Amino acid sequence: MTTDVLVDPVKLREEVKSKYREVAVEPNGKFHFHTGRPLARRLGYDDAVVRQMPDTAVESFAGVANPFSLRHLERGERVVDIGSGGGFDCFIAASQVGADGHVIGVDMTPEMLTKSRASAARMGLGNVEFREGLIEDMPVEDRSVDVVISNGVINLCADKRQVFAEIMRILKPGAWLQFADIANGKPVPASAIKNVDLWTA
Amino acid sequence: MLEDSGFVDIAIGPSVDTFGGAGGESKARLFEVFGYPFLARKPG
Repeated sequence: MTTDVLVDPVKLREEVKSKYREVAVEPNGKFHFHTGRPLARRLGYDDAVVRQMPDTAVESFAGVANPFSLRHLERGERVVDIGSGGGFDCFIAASQVGADGHVIGVDMTPEMLTKSRASAARMGLGNVEFREGLIEDMPVEDRSVDVVISNGVINLCADKRQVFAEIMRILKPGAWLQFADIANGKPVPASAIKNVDLWTA
Repeated sequence: MLEDSGFVDIAIGPSVDTFGGAGGESKARLFEVFGYPFLARKPG
């Protein structure tokens, strides 16, 4: 169902990929959003957990709220993080599900995947993996996941109904979607929504 | 949209001032943009 898609999905995807390539490569650059450890503190992440992570695991974090604030993950759960970026939320998830659990990060930006894989290796995490893919068409099996998490990513997708349909496909019956995202209290004009340049400005 | 997509037991947590003090703050204020945690389930 794509009747409410107001922007070119491919153009928007390339714009988003370009922006988050910058966040991966130059995490201390100037962005319109907060990043890294100051952002994690602002969003209420457990400082004791974040403090143990190397800088590379945190510095490219660019979430918008805390997807773990309404529900703590359970030991042994199988989790997929859609739009995993530098891997920060995957590493938080890995600490919650433990060695018997498993976390899969899906991201479309090669620079983010390189960074998240290197951080996972540096942290010695055997229960985390990262896969290249689009969240509208994820490289994840049907009904194989206990929890889908995400942070600040779904709002950047042109076809949100397709994203939710894809999440529904990979979740087991009765499984959880816990995500963080932005919402606006005042309507954004259609002319602005149609302007791809404004989505990541 | 979550309901339309078939999710149940939907909950929304308190807002977070995601962009306060950041470069995007003025645009966020203009449209009252905040971050939120969401929780939902696929029917069992």
